[in-house]
Parts: sequence; structure tokens; C-alpha cells
Amino acid sequence: MAARITPILMPKWGMEMSEGTITQWRCSPGSKVDAGDELVDIETSKIVNTLAAHEAGLLRRVLAKEGETLAVGALLAIQADASVPENEIDEFIAEHNDGNSGKKKSVADNPQSPISESYSTVIQGAGAVAEIVASGDFDDGAVPASNIARRLARRYGVNLRNIQGSGRHGRISKIDLEKALGRAGRAIEHEHIHHAIGRKRSTDDDRLIPATPVARRLARELGINLRDCRPGGTRGRVGKADVEAARIQLSAIRGEISDGAIGGGSRQAIPARDFVEVELSGVRKTIAARLQGSKQNSPHFRVKMTADAGKLLDLKKALNENHAEAKISLNDLLVKACAMALQRVPELNIQFDGKLVRRFGRADIAVAVALEEGLIAPIVRSVDSKGIITISNEIRDLTTRAKLGLIKTEELQGGTFSVSNLGMLGVKEFDAIINPPHGAILAIGAAEEVAVVRNGTIAVATMMTLCLSCDHRVIDGALAARFMASLKRFIEDPAMMLS
Amino acid sequence: MTKNFDLMVVGSGPGGYAAAIRAAQLGFKTALIEKDELGGVCLNWGCIPTKALLRGAEVAHTLRTAKQFGFSLQGVEFDLAQLVEHSRQVSKKLNLGVAQMLKKNNVTVINGNACVSGKCELIVDCQGDQATYQTDHIIIATGARARTLPNLPSDNSLIWGASEAMMPNSLPGRVLIIGAGAIGVEFASLYSDLGSDVTLIEEQDRILPVEDEEISELLRQTFIDRNISVKTGSRLESAHIKSGEVTATLTDRRSGITQIVADRIIVAVGVTGNIEGLGLEKLGVNLERGFIKTDRFGATNVVGLYAVGDVAGPPWLAHKASYEAASCVNRIAGKGEDPLSQDNIPRCTYCRPQVASLGMAESAAIKKGYKVRVGRSGFKTNGKALGISDSEGLIKTIFDAGSGELLGAHMIGPEVTEQIQGFGIAKLLEATEAELMNSIFPHPTLSEAMHESVVNAIGKVNPS
Repeated sequence: MAARITPILMPKWGMEMSEGTITQWRCSPGSKVDAGDELVDIETSKIVNTLAAHEAGLLRRVLAKEGETLAVGALLAIQADASVPENEIDEFIAEHNDGNSGKKKSVADNPQSPISESYSTVIQGAGAVAEIVASGDFDDGAVPASNIARRLARRYGVNLRNIQGSGRHGRISKIDLEKALGRAGRAIEHEHIHHAIGRKRSTDDDRLIPATPVARRLARELGINLRDCRPGGTRGRVGKADVEAARIQLSAIRGEISDGAIGGGSRQAIPARDFVEVELSGVRKTIAARLQGSKQNSPHFRVKMTADAGKLLDLKKALNENHAEAKISLNDLLVKACAMALQRVPELNIQFDGKLVRRFGRADIAVAVALEEGLIAPIVRSVDSKGIITISNEIRDLTTRAKLGLIKTEELQGGTFSVSNLGMLGVKEFDAIINPPHGAILAIGAAEEVAVVRNGTIAVATMMTLCLSCDHRVIDGALAARFMASLKRFIEDPAMMLS
Repeated sequence: MTKNFDLMVVGSGPGGYAAAIRAAQLGFKTALIEKDELGGVCLNWGCIPTKALLRGAEVAHTLRTAKQFGFSLQGVEFDLAQLVEHSRQVSKKLNLGVAQMLKKNNVTVINGNACVSGKCELIVDCQGDQATYQTDHIIIATGARARTLPNLPSDNSLIWGASEAMMPNSLPGRVLIIGAGAIGVEFASLYSDLGSDVTLIEEQDRILPVEDEEISELLRQTFIDRNISVKTGSRLESAHIKSGEVTATLTDRRSGITQIVADRIIVAVGVTGNIEGLGLEKLGVNLERGFIKTDRFGATNVVGLYAVGDVAGPPWLAHKASYEAASCVNRIAGKGEDPLSQDNIPRCTYCRPQVASLGMAESAAIKKGYKVRVGRSGFKTNGKALGISDSEGLIKTIFDAGSGELLGAHMIGPEVTEQIQGFGIAKLLEATEAELMNSIFPHPTLSEAMHESVVNAIGKVNPS
């Protein structure tokens, strides 16, 4: 294998990443790249990041297409000197792909993939790095290794099971890890991952980034790292305009510069603007894509019903008064009621990817949580078989961690039904967009005291409006009505949940 | 008026401010409630000012022994008020530091008395102005206060607690200290070095009862050499004040009833948790012997309510509180599970000679069924210790003979409080005696004695 050929592989960003989708190539075949140059945007289930070149060279081949989903370690592109002949590159690619059938994990080719829990997929490696990356049993927690080696392995996505330790009792040291990475054509180095979306400021040394003298001095004065600037100047250098653009971009996102302040400083050249550009965050992008897909693909219909929440509120009060360890909300009880209704009408307790319906026994319910950055729906597992206090405390824990951005990917994946509640914000009723791969979502409005007519007389009752959105491809109106009737019964007679 | 936070902390000592800062760093909208000065007892009335005072005691000792180094001093005067002032200044400085750190981390500081009025709900009373707060998580870090003895007259000009003993306006001639735990022992060392005539009494049969027996005994001998009268197995029965003097009646296990006349009594008989007025009883919080009962991560039996530090029980140490605080907040945030391990908490007593330890005493290890390998080393042949003319002491290391695990390390001698952490890191990383032996200790240092102790343990095949 020619040492002059550098494979660009699907990186592993974080423990849970098992695959990534190519969002956009930032370089085309034939372009010259420097170390640190942005190569390609890759979207994971968590975030969109940009993969940067580790070393300077010529981008010879781009193998992964935009929109393609590939496993960690898959070959994305080939970087090599101009002197390397084409046939050598062909050989290199062939060698890589040998024995790597199933490397491509395209959504379209595999109807099960969107609903399979992707993190559990065993990844087939590609090439030398992949060999140490992820083959075999994924959990390497039992392999003896020093703390430093373990941490580095996590960062570089190396499975310690694939490394021979040289320490006492086969313990893997930092040096063993460095050697293994070296054999795979990589070295321990500073991270070159730029957060294209989060626009985090770089802190790495930028002295080697080509820039004009004016740009360099301006960047220093403004405290801007040249790595955060696009090289739009002559001979691929960062120019003065690039530094000023970076300043606006970085500051606007962080709210450092108010509308008026842009252009108000001593450095003229920055035009005054009456708006602030805010790029979509990773979370926002994911929400946008998923919900747009849902609205386009699933023919939604809605059924609406009101229910008397009086008994449920009494139950909530009694439970909270008698259990120090519980602070149950109306929403917690409604999640439980949904799980019970899903047991009665299992046709709604499903995942659907457009071709195949999976009907589940247990009810895993996604509970929508509103965050500043956007909506997130962590999943409470097996709600049907759990007690209400457990459910309530699990939802609180998930909400806490969701707010902090510390939720795990697997806690957001799967699920069989969703619940969204805006009642606590005073919303009377609303309808929601189905959260794929689910078949339905329940939107809950506020419980309010209203006058109702019962047996010809007017009475006061605490009523709430429930609206179920269903995917008509797999759920019909009558089925939705059956579910709603069952749900209403559980709400109005919560003792039935014990049956 | 209702306000909302993600997490609120009651009390701003080393447990409280550590919890608040960690929470804010993780992204919680955090508030910290303090009724008094920021920093708690540690910073204002405990660890910090006493260390400043003890430095004065050390200077006094240095001056007394200066002749050995060729200095003859005349006309040396001591201004007690200046020493007290120094200790107050140190506290003040750190107090400002805490305020700045909280501000830097965007923690909202609320002044007032907090009461947990319901699940995830707090009422803060600031001089009559009440505000109600809704919060997902409440961490109680209200600390503890010195226990008092009911059989003593309440005259805090003659009968002192720790805070009075920290701010003397004149040096008492005869001091009687009740209780020979870390606090009592430190005051004994301080007042003795400053020139008082000190009697230290302890109900149990040795001083520093939580330490290894050999360490307790060595400290007792040193104290006796320093003319501190040490009475173990002694109980204070009563005390009477008469014309500016206190006469204390003691029951001694050996010599029966005795009387001691002193100018001041310092009471150092442990602490009790600050659990009152917080609304805990009404909420049904489980309590245990005056402290809040929690799980390994500080969670109480009440939803969303946690307790860390002194108020959550012993050991009453600032660094234990800070660790518990971080561990509790991390657990709430689902970020790692590292509960406090009692065996990894170092204990330091800043008397002269200093005492520091970690893990199990030899007797405790044997009682637990371990086959132990014990190493001992003194400072008598340690070049650095001889050079500074401070060569009394012992370093005792206890290893599990089978696995090589460091079960305990017990040190008494010069600057041992600064050295114990070497054993702390080794213990956390599960180093065996082999790694400790292969570590290079710099020469000449006091820490070479640590190495000697480990080597001594290895030399023993299977003692005890």
C-alpha cells in the first residue's frame, strides 16, 4: 500500500456515533487542501460537523455522495500527491472495499434501517483504521487499559479489543494506542473538527494559516482565530474582508454585537444592518428535516375529543400528598393513560418507515420537551409496565438532561408513540406533526374549568381537549376513534389503569 | 411572586458554592441562597482562619528555636490582636473570591433565610420580604455548627466555642480544652505555642480517636513533651465560674473525680447539623441523628431534594462537601456516577506535628479481615527533616497483602498535610506497592519518608 495515499474515512465523533450522512462536500476532486481545510459536512443523529483535512495534499477522488449514509470507518475520499498514478488509487480503493460488503448503509436500500436502532448496528470496518475502530464486540470496557489510553481510544473511536497491550497483564498503555493509530495511518494530534454550525471559536495555533499581513494583524486585534475565517483572498489566503465577515458571524451568533453596534465601531468597512443572521443550529436542522419529511410523506388526519380531567387531578393530588418521593404532573398521568390505551389498541403502538409496520407490545412513549434551541422528544420506555412514580421521575430526569444538552442519542431513538403537551402554557388546543417513525402523536391542551351540560343541567367540570394526529397510510379514522375512546375512559376513570 | 430556577442551593459553604458553580457550568439556571456571609464556616470560621492563626503558632515556635540556627533574638514582642486581624483578613479575601467565582459562573446569589415550602418549592425570607421560588432541584448545604454542652454555664467570655477561640482579645494563661478531635487538638497546639498553659481532655481513651492508634499515641507523647497536659478517658461533669476563673469538675476513668482551674474553656465536642427552620420535618425528609439522610449521591427520600456536606453527616470536612456537591450535581445531570468513597477522603489536622491520613487504620483493616502488610518509616534519618530540625514523626502504610491495594496511609510529622495527596492519587488510581516503589521521589525531601514506608512494607513477607 502506497504511503502517499491518505484515505479520508467516516470519522467517529463521540461514543454513540455509528454512522454519518454526507451533507455537503466543501472540496471537489482535484482541489488542493491544506491541513485544517474543511473537507465535508457530515450529519450525525446529534449534530452536523465538518471534517477537516489532517494533512496537506491533493483531493484525488470523492467516493461518498451527498445524502449517502455510511458507517464509521467507511472510505469517503482519497487524498494523494499528484505523482500517485490513477491505477494505484484504484487498487487502494479495491483493497479497501474487499470484504466490506454491506459497508454502505443507504436508507433507501434497507427498509429496516430507519426504524432499527442505529447505535446497535455492528459496523463493518474499512481498511486499517476500521480494523482498530469498531470490529468485534463493541463494548471494550473490560479490556485492561490505562485511563489515558482509554480516553484517547474514546476520542479516536478505537475499540481497545483490537489492540494488544504491552503493559503488565496485557494492559494497554498510551504508547500501545499511539502505535496502533500509527499503523492505521493516523497519529495523536490536535482536533481539527470545526463546529460549522455551532460556530465555536477556534483556539488552535493559526500561525500556519495563510493570510494577508493586514488580515493577520486585524485578526489579532479583534481576537479572531484565522481558522474561523474563510480563505477568500488571493492565492487562497484569508483576506481582510474574511476576518471582518468572521467577526460579524461569530459575534452575531453569540449576541455580542447588537444590531446597532454592527458597523458602529471604529472599523468602518462593516456595513450597518438592521437584522441579525442566525444560522440554524444542529438541533434546529434536524427538527426541520424530520418534520418536513413527516408532513410531506405522511398524510395526516386528526381526531379531537374532550375529556373530563377531574378524577385525574384528584388522583394526582392524592398521590403527591402521600408520597414524598413523587411530584407527579398531569402530563405524567396522561402519558401513563396513553400507554394503557395503546395496550387496548395496539394498532397505534407502532413504528412505520413507509413500507413496513412494526407493532410493539411495550409502549415506548416520546415526550416532547420544549428547549430554547428547539423541540426534543426523549423516550420513556415500557410506560405500560411501570408505576406512575417511576414514570414521573424518569420524565423529570430526561427533561433535566435534555435542558442541559446531556441526553444520550439512544434516549431519543425509537419509541412507538408521542405525546406533546402545551396545556401548562395555557394553550387550549392544538395539533401536532407526527414524529417519525411513529404512527400517531397526541396533542394535549390545558385542563380548564368550563360549564358542561349533563343530563339537561349545567355543571362545572375541568375539561381538556385532546387532539390525535395519525398517519392515514396505516391508521384509519375508526381506529383513531377507538384509541381516543379508550384514552378518554382511562382519563375519566383512572382507577381502570390498575386493571 | 414566583420565580423559577432549574436548581437552587441553600448555603454557600464549600458544599453549597461547589454545587452551584458545577450546576451553572453544566447549564442549569442556578441560584444560591445564603443568610450570612458567603463561604460558610470553612472560610469564615473554620479551616481557613485557623490555618492563619496556626501559622502564628509556628512562627512562635521558630522564634523559640532560632538559636539552633545561630540567631539570638532579643526584645521579641507578640501582638495577639495583629495575628487575629491577619486571620480575619484572609477570610475576607477568600470571601470576596467566592462572590466573584459565583458571579463569573452566572450563579444568582439570593440573600435570606430559605425554607423548603413544598416539593420543588422554596420560600426565601430576606428581612421580612418573602419570595417564592419554583425549582426542579433543591440542594441543602446548610452545614453544621459546634455542639454545645448542656452542663456548662452560658458565659461566652470565659467558655468559648470555636469561633470565640478564633478571636481572643487577650492570651489566656490557662486553657482547658474539652474534646481531642481535630478542632480540639489544633486549639491545644495553637494556644500552647502562643504561650498558654493547656490541658486537653478527651472522653475516649486516646486523642484523635479517628486516627490510627500509633499516630494518636505519637501525638500524645509529643504533646506531653510540649508540656500540654493530656487527659484521656476523662469526662467534664460541671464547671463553675468564680471571680474570672472557671473550675471544672472531671470524672477520670482512672483517678476518679478531679478539679481543674482554668482561665478559659474551649468546647470542641463535635458538630450538629443545621437542619432546623428549613421545613424538612413538614416535608417528611428522613433524618438521622441530627443530619439529613441521603443516598450515595446526596438524594433524600423527597423528590427533587438533595443534601451535601456537613448537613448530610460525617466526616465533616470541606473537601468531602465539595466532592459530594459535584457528585450530586453530576448525578442529577446524568453526567457520570462517581459517588464519594469514604476511603479516598484525606483527613488533615494542622497541629504541630501535623497529622494526615487516608483510608483504614491498621486495626480496622485487620478487623475487616484483610491480611495486611504494614510499612513504617520515621523522619529520624531523613536529611531534609534533620536540616529543618523537625525529625519527629511516622509514616505508616497499610497494604492488602494479596492484591497490593493501599488500604490506608497514616502520617504524623513535618508538612504531612501537604504530602498525603501522593497516597491519595495512588489510591484512586489503584496503584499497588510496586508502582509506589517504582515512583521516583525527589531527594532531599520529606516525602522520601513516604517511599521508605512503602519499601519497608514490601520487605515484610507477612506480618501481623
